[in-house]
Amino acid sequence: MSFLKASLAWIEERTGAMAFIAPLLFHHVPRNAKWWYVFGSATLMFFTIQIVTGVCLATVYAPSAAQAWESLNYIDNEVPMGWMLRALHGWSSNAMVVMMAIHMLQVFLHASYKYPRELNWITGVFLLLTVLALAFTGQVMRWDQDAYWGLGIGAAIADRIPVFGDQVRAMLLGGPIIGGETLNRFYALHVFVLPGAAIALVGLHMVLIIKNGISEMPKPGAVVVPSTYRKEFEERMHTDGVPFMPDAAQRDMVFCGVCLIGLFALAAISGPIGPGGMPDPTLINTNPRPDYPFMWLFGAVSLLPPASETAIMLIAPAIGVLLLLAIPFFSNSGERAPSKRPAMVLLAVVTVMAIAALTWEGTTSPWSPVMDGWSSLPTPAKFTRGRTPLEMQGAVVFQYAQCRNCHALDGQGGRRGPELDAVATRLSYDQLVRQVQQGGGNMPAYGKNLDSAQTAAVVAFLATLHPSNEPDSMIPGAQLPIPTGSAAAH
Amino acid sequence: MNSRLLLASLITWLAGCDRPGVPHGAQPVAHDSLAWTQSAFNTNCRGCHSQGAEGAALPLMNANYWAVATDAVVIEAIAHGQGRSMPAYLDDEGGPFTPAQIVSLVQGMRSLWGAKGSATGGEGGAISPRVIAGDAGAGAAVFSQACAGCHGPQGSAGSVIDPMYLRLISDQGLWSATIYGRSDLGMPSWSQTMPNRPTGLTAQEVADVVSFISSHRGIAQKASDGP
Amino acid sequence: MSDDVKKSCGCGDCGCGTAAGRLPQSAPRRGFMVKLGAGLLGVGGLLTAIPIVGYIVGPATKRFSNVWVELGSVALFPAGQTRFATFLNPIRQPTDGDSAKTACWVRCIDTAKYQVFAINCAHLGCPVRWFAQSKLFMCPCHGGVYYQDGSRAAGPPPRGLFEYKWKVEGGKLLIDAGRLPGLEESV
Repeated sequence: MSFLKASLAWIEERTGAMAFIAPLLFHHVPRNAKWWYVFGSATLMFFTIQIVTGVCLATVYAPSAAQAWESLNYIDNEVPMGWMLRALHGWSSNAMVVMMAIHMLQVFLHASYKYPRELNWITGVFLLLTVLALAFTGQVMRWDQDAYWGLGIGAAIADRIPVFGDQVRAMLLGGPIIGGETLNRFYALHVFVLPGAAIALVGLHMVLIIKNGISEMPKPGAVVVPSTYRKEFEERMHTDGVPFMPDAAQRDMVFCGVCLIGLFALAAISGPIGPGGMPDPTLINTNPRPDYPFMWLFGAVSLLPPASETAIMLIAPAIGVLLLLAIPFFSNSGERAPSKRPAMVLLAVVTVMAIAALTWEGTTSPWSPVMDGWSSLPTPAKFTRGRTPLEMQGAVVFQYAQCRNCHALDGQGGRRGPELDAVATRLSYDQLVRQVQQGGGNMPAYGKNLDSAQTAAVVAFLATLHPSNEPDSMIPGAQLPIPTGSAAAH
Repeated sequence: MNSRLLLASLITWLAGCDRPGVPHGAQPVAHDSLAWTQSAFNTNCRGCHSQGAEGAALPLMNANYWAVATDAVVIEAIAHGQGRSMPAYLDDEGGPFTPAQIVSLVQGMRSLWGAKGSATGGEGGAISPRVIAGDAGAGAAVFSQACAGCHGPQGSAGSVIDPMYLRLISDQGLWSATIYGRSDLGMPSWSQTMPNRPTGLTAQEVADVVSFISSHRGIAQKASDGP
Repeated sequence: MSDDVKKSCGCGDCGCGTAAGRLPQSAPRRGFMVKLGAGLLGVGGLLTAIPIVGYIVGPATKRFSNVWVELGSVALFPAGQTRFATFLNPIRQPTDGDSAKTACWVRCIDTAKYQVFAINCAHLGCPVRWFAQSKLFMCPCHGGVYYQDGSRAAGPPPRGLFEYKWKVEGGKLLIDAGRLPGLEESV
């Protein structure tokens, strides 16, 4: 025992390690800083998992466009525990983004960014950007079809930058196409630049936490006055604070432990994320989708009005980041309690709901045609019974002409256009003919693409689509033949 | 000791293969396997050719169909399509399948849904407008006796001599409709009892009635049938 | 260790940061050395930065010209039809692997009259698919739809499909391809 003590003393005398670490471990934190304050630690824990599993994966992963996909399959199927390492890395990445978002939300709701912690917030915003960049570059590492076309989306957005679009795109891709140099560029970012930046920013974030202390739980009336705050805070910590170790750290440890076990279970049950289809751009039967952290952006870009889309795509992210950075400068004193800051709480709630709604939209993608709907989703039996040969042929045309890709019948099919189960109660025969031939309301005009017999048949079928207890909106005698002139001369 | 046992079992569990998370190595599905047939059918055919009343065109998940259809007829229909209601699936014509895949698909469908022992399909499948010439005049009489009750201009099942309908269906399509019927929708096949024809139609009668129906198309079949 | 050296420790109260401190060099000379050092480091840093920055932004400054690529015999593209075609990108690196493969849609309007469309949707670059039955191109990402002549039919695309220049030589169809299609190649 005394030998151990002597050894420690020997090291301490030469390094001063304990003198450095002790204040970090035993600095006083607010007594009331209970379970609200565990999310930052959990984020850091997931980051540590990312570093460790990332280094492990780098020992087998081949960062080359020609081999990356095969090497991932090799890790999944051949390397002992390889699949679990990939599962841990993938799910921990998602968990880290989620935990970071919760941490940020808590800090925002409690206004912990006010004096003197403005820079804590700002380093946090840069950490957010770094982690999102890690998530995006990580998706590229998978080098499957989603990665390839995800890069294509990134390239197309860069291409829209005025004047320098082409140059920015070339910088991003490392050349004129998505290829070998693209993967290596993103690899360098993913394993060197961004983790380095994240480690540096985490260090800075921690230094600021030690320097400024952890904020107390907000109390209505306990306003932040910059001129006196620091002195009063330090006095309160001195008299009423508790040492970080173990009073606060024990909660961090419990929460992180639960998170870690949860991550393990998630990874073991769900398995590795991807890789999806092989990255051959001539295999076009693919439905490219981004990873979850970017699903809300994917949703947003399909809902933007085309006219202002470019401007919004290029400017909105920059404005968003600037606003985040500016928050502690707009309000760095005064009340911190959420009950005294209803507008800020509302802003947070609206933002969370908007991101959740866009994520849902992106996941379900109602705007995307169901590409094989026409050939894979049968006409429901209830719409084929008691139909005339012409109407039945119309049902065939409805499938044949890919109507089903955008229109559902009995809940199955695309949701880009309206479900047509009861279309005959909404549109008259003439209106159906006009809608099919001229399109409109985001539907292509089928006038040149269907001949008159096809149009007549499909409209005859559509005219039967109404509940049996509800009359259709057909005007008696209005079922005139489709004009055969121009349309027949296909 | 207990904890060591726990660790050992955990590692065994992790290294094992029958858990949900473990990826099963990519196993390419050979195009002559029934799994491939089922998935190719589900993606490419099922939208129109399903089972029972589901699907607007002839149900293929149906032993009755395979009892009659020959492989050659089905292969040709898949490869080259049917007028303006069924696309060509042959790669040379812009479709997704190689000739070998189409053959596998047809053989696979027959073993999935055909009755045991119907290796090649029945007599009716082989008859087609190319084999037996029909006579529209004789067909008119057959039609008025056997078909018009349901399919005449005032028939309850809807007219089959509507020119718009006829412009969308080829003669081969009319043959198929007459021969296979749609038992799921109440239409008998050619060999089943129909009005005035207790034992169904003969091959020649099918040819005649198709000629008769076809004569109502009004414009040349080629013009509307496309390539 | 002598006292003098021990005190030059940057602790702030030993006088080493002021000219009054007892130092081995005279003040003017030290000032000159600092300036010289900063200057040399600056020049060296700039020199080193030139290749580094040049290396990183290289792809943006290098011009890649498209090359005529053969898509195959004109017999592969029957009149009145739109067919899928693939080619190996003429601008490629050994490490590209499959990603150097490129796809496009060839529409033969009539004998010796073609339109060759890039596979990439004009909205955000996803691969569009041709549906011969409805004569439409559809995009799986955000639902962009185009008519057979490549013009926009529905959805978010701001313009029609990108087109390659084409020519027929010796019974073969060639297109001017290479760079990832984008706004610079607008047709």
